[in-house]
Amino acid sequence: MTARVLPRRNQGPSAPGSARKIARKAGLYLVLIAGGVGMMIPFLWMLATSLKTRAEVFSSAPFSFPSGLHWENYSNMWFAMPGVTFGTFFQNSIFIASLATIGQLITCSMAAYAFAVLTFRFKRVLFALILATLIIPFQVVLVPNFVLYRYLPWPFSESGNFIGTNLPLWVWAFFGGAFGTFLLRQFFLSIPHELADSARVDGANPWQIFIHVYIPLARPALATLAIFQFMWSWNDLLDPLIYLRDLPSYTTTVGLAFFQGQFVGKWPEMMAGALVSLLPMIILFVVAQKYFVRGITLSGLKG
Amino acid sequence: MTASAGVGDPAGREGPPAGARARGPLGRESRWAWLFLAPTIIGLAVLSAGPILAALGISLTKWDMLTPPQVVGLDNYVNLLHDDRFLKALRNTTFYTVVSVPLGLALALGLASALNQQIRGIAWIRTAYFLPLVTSATAIALVWLWIYSPTGILNGLLGVFGIAPQRWVSDPVLAMPSIIAMSVWQGLPANVIIFLAGLQGIPTEYYDAASVDGAGRRARFRKITLPLLTPSLFFTGVLALIGAFQVFDQVYVMANPGKPSESTITLVYFIYEAGFRNFKMGYASAASWIMFLIVAVATILYFRTQNRWVHYQ
Repeated sequence: MTARVLPRRNQGPSAPGSARKIARKAGLYLVLIAGGVGMMIPFLWMLATSLKTRAEVFSSAPFSFPSGLHWENYSNMWFAMPGVTFGTFFQNSIFIASLATIGQLITCSMAAYAFAVLTFRFKRVLFALILATLIIPFQVVLVPNFVLYRYLPWPFSESGNFIGTNLPLWVWAFFGGAFGTFLLRQFFLSIPHELADSARVDGANPWQIFIHVYIPLARPALATLAIFQFMWSWNDLLDPLIYLRDLPSYTTTVGLAFFQGQFVGKWPEMMAGALVSLLPMIILFVVAQKYFVRGITLSGLKG
Repeated sequence: MTASAGVGDPAGREGPPAGARARGPLGRESRWAWLFLAPTIIGLAVLSAGPILAALGISLTKWDMLTPPQVVGLDNYVNLLHDDRFLKALRNTTFYTVVSVPLGLALALGLASALNQQIRGIAWIRTAYFLPLVTSATAIALVWLWIYSPTGILNGLLGVFGIAPQRWVSDPVLAMPSIIAMSVWQGLPANVIIFLAGLQGIPTEYYDAASVDGAGRRARFRKITLPLLTPSLFFTGVLALIGAFQVFDQVYVMANPGKPSESTITLVYFIYEAGFRNFKMGYASAASWIMFLIVAVATILYFRTQNRWVHYQ
């Protein structure tokens, strides 16, 4: 599957007569755009609410536009927490998501290369085992992993171990992953092996072939994996909830959920917070939509 | 380069000495392979496959992580089956799965058919439909909490038609369907994208031939589109099934946060609560193993139905 799969389509039989054709096309636009606006309602509603005053939210009709643009909701939200700004949550999220992404890019591409290019015993069994972990609900390892991190010493934390630090949220990423390995293996398999063969004749070892032949060619697939891993880390709630203990270490999702519990009924500020937390992902999506689409069609995994 | 350098083979590659054929280039290559796989294998052993077995072991103990674990046999499992909150979680999760999966797939199929058009600006229109894909369930749940609130847009809309305001999130009957509606909305794009790719893989000649034979729109959909799309349907079905059992974020946020009533508690929330709020590690592990078994059995049963309705070209 290539990035250009979607824009193409089957040409259904077209109705004869250009007037009917135009009328049909206009109707189609109308329906599709109306549907699109329908899908967007939660976002539009979020944006409208984030700019209203609290009094306006409760008194005016739900569909009304804000009377003025009350941007102060955003600064109120940003500085709502004692001693910590929303910017800290952003930094934490960016830090964790970036490290998790780097870890997955390195170790998944290595494993994928072994599965796609190299010959070794137990290759099939091992690959099947890795694929099997794709369909196992990860919650079953929640407790054992917590126990593991509880007993891994870490001198710089209050607990003396990994608990209460962000380590459990990204260290795992440096130990492979089923999605990335599968995705990159599929891509590596599509690279003609003559390239590797000629490099081998020139005396290159597998590591050099990996770095100089496969990695440069796999850039689109690596971008897809990077985008998905970044999004998953950014959006994750359960793990940060379990491992992060104090406010300054919170990610945007935990910060948002905490905010929700603290400021019940402050809808304008809450919607401002939700919108700000979504913004990086929305921008990334608009810029790199084809990578998202490719990742989904290649592997069927959901965001 | 190895010690065997210098013994060239006819293909011009570095070959091993004849006596070491079995460990030859393959043996050397497999050493490289294990090197490349080392992080993955450690991860598999320590972070995924190993812990699944560890969870089984922990589930046979009573353990608060402060005092040493006591082996209690199957007590946790027996107690779970008599725990009202667990049974509610099990029932709610099953309800969520049974309703949200077929509903989500059917809506996505319809939407994909509608979006499978070659018209100017379709990419921009699709972006609007795909946007929920990248959004966190946490932020989305916040927005829907507001949509569902007594003074929110949904009650406002219903008011236009003279329908009395409802307590969408706090009413025990409405709470779960409200969460389902939100999740279906958020899950649509991923399924639509898979179905769109499936639709675009159907050769146009099939439709042309059917039109010549006088097949109408509906007949073409039923006899061509649907059968040829069954592999995509099957595939998205598996993922939707497994994903639905793991529902957590929405429930956590909607329950203001973190204390869902018995009408919205789910299995993953129950595991989280038992393990990380009440520090009953054995109990939480037992619940997670029951969940694991249910998902495994459901997946196997689902795969068994494959021969009956999935058509591969």
